[in-house]
Amino acid sequence: MAPRIYDALTRVVANLGNNSRVLAEHAGELGIMVWNIGVACVRLRVPSREIFRQIFVVGIQSVPIVVVAAGLIGVVTSQQGGYQMQSNLPLYVMGSVVVESVILEMGPVLTAIVIVGRVGARITAELGTMKVSEQIDALYSVGRDPIEILAAPRVLALMISMPVLVAVADVVGILTGMFSAQFTLGLGPETFFYGARLFWHSYDLFYSLLKAFVFGVAIPIIAIHMGLRTSGGAEGVGRTTTQSVVFMTLTILIIDAMFPPLFLQ
Amino acid sequence: MSRHSNGSEPVIEYLDVFKAFDTPVLSGVNLSVQKGEMFAIFGPSGTGKSVLLKTTMALIIPDRGDVRVAGDSVYFGGRRSLEKIRDNIGYVFQYAALFDSLTVFENVKMGISENILRDMSRIDVERQAWESLELVNLEPGQVLGKLPAELSGGMKKRVGIARAIAGRPEILLWDEPTTGLDPVNTAAIERLIRRLSHELDTTSLLVTHDVEGGLDMCDRVAMLEGGKIRFSGTPEAFNMSDDPVVRAFADRAAAIAALDVLEVR
Repeated sequence: MAPRIYDALTRVVANLGNNSRVLAEHAGELGIMVWNIGVACVRLRVPSREIFRQIFVVGIQSVPIVVVAAGLIGVVTSQQGGYQMQSNLPLYVMGSVVVESVILEMGPVLTAIVIVGRVGARITAELGTMKVSEQIDALYSVGRDPIEILAAPRVLALMISMPVLVAVADVVGILTGMFSAQFTLGLGPETFFYGARLFWHSYDLFYSLLKAFVFGVAIPIIAIHMGLRTSGGAEGVGRTTTQSVVFMTLTILIIDAMFPPLFLQ
Repeated sequence: MSRHSNGSEPVIEYLDVFKAFDTPVLSGVNLSVQKGEMFAIFGPSGTGKSVLLKTTMALIIPDRGDVRVAGDSVYFGGRRSLEKIRDNIGYVFQYAALFDSLTVFENVKMGISENILRDMSRIDVERQAWESLELVNLEPGQVLGKLPAELSGGMKKRVGIARAIAGRPEILLWDEPTTGLDPVNTAAIERLIRRLSHELDTTSLLVTHDVEGGLDMCDRVAMLEGGKIRFSGTPEAFNMSDDPVVRAFADRAAAIAALDVLEVR
């Protein structure tokens, strides 16, 4: 009996040690990568043409899906809010509920989740494929730094694009929420915006865009880090992309949970 | 004495190189390649031949030991020294590792160091890419504008070679240059390796499983087994070796080569 307990304990300790090692590896590699991206930006070693190309790919091409997602968010928020407060609160409060929900929470978070699926997964799969097919090694072999050519442009592009996308999502979400309130509750635009103004703080917009900016940094950094760690052929690319999406989604939710105590107190 | 060596000056030196992944792969490799010679490293699959080759330009970093290229330390010489070493080496990858999103011209152009590119006119760059493709027996006019996906396996390999020689390096590293090719293409690539090494006056280090071809082409050969150099010497000495491990490997390789020839017939 004693040897079995000893074996089980040994396995637990070994697993714990191994997981801690992997965690430390991730943290160390992420730290070095972020530092190198910073150095590449400061030394102006990031090709501007590639930044613009990435802004088009990750930003402009994401507008349609972000608009659709934000439009639906506005409709759902408006309808659920209306259902809950129909008999308890004056309807003009709906304006505030929709605007504040979309700007503080739904706009940034759901846009980030959409971008994780559309852009983050793409970055991990793209760089992962380059890693397993030795294209990353080939870049090093010809004296080019993948951090300068591949990583930094993607991070900069998403840092710039994400606040713009969230601003678009905020506007679309509010407008669809307003129209939805008009059709389902008979709440006119004037009343809707009267309610919205009652509880409006200009700081809320800054909060929304700041959140977007932080998401815009976190998503590409995790996606690139995971892509450059890929090994094991096509199966490895699939596995790493899935892990990357899970990490990015969890990170978005954790950052989102940290925002109110840090910035809304 | 090598067939076309300029003396006995070591140009690549592996000094007590250790590398382990989950298990040890290289366990203290000591080897030197002389200027101007063609050197082949044989060994069974998984013995770390490609890992050793990649340590030459820090594509894989050893756990211990050092590699010197033309007297400069790869690992203790600093960033500038490594850049200089990489500029001086052309690396031919096992599966070409062409950049998917770039045309053949852009791929070959990547082989020219950024420092040299800065001082070259566009016409000079095009001429150099054109000449590199001609050297590997490709028709530049037909392939320059194509993407790698539009090329056959043999053509991709040749473009990979053209990229490696585009910067006119003094050292060429060949990672399994004939892997995945049929015997006819294998013979053609072997002729190409020999011709390029002579015409460009380079030092060539190959890792290959094609023992017959390696013995035929190279001035010296080595066999890697169990993470160490088991044999190092001339092809004649390899054929005469009475080491049972070397003998068994050479006999097995000869049998596989004979089967390949029979298959073609």
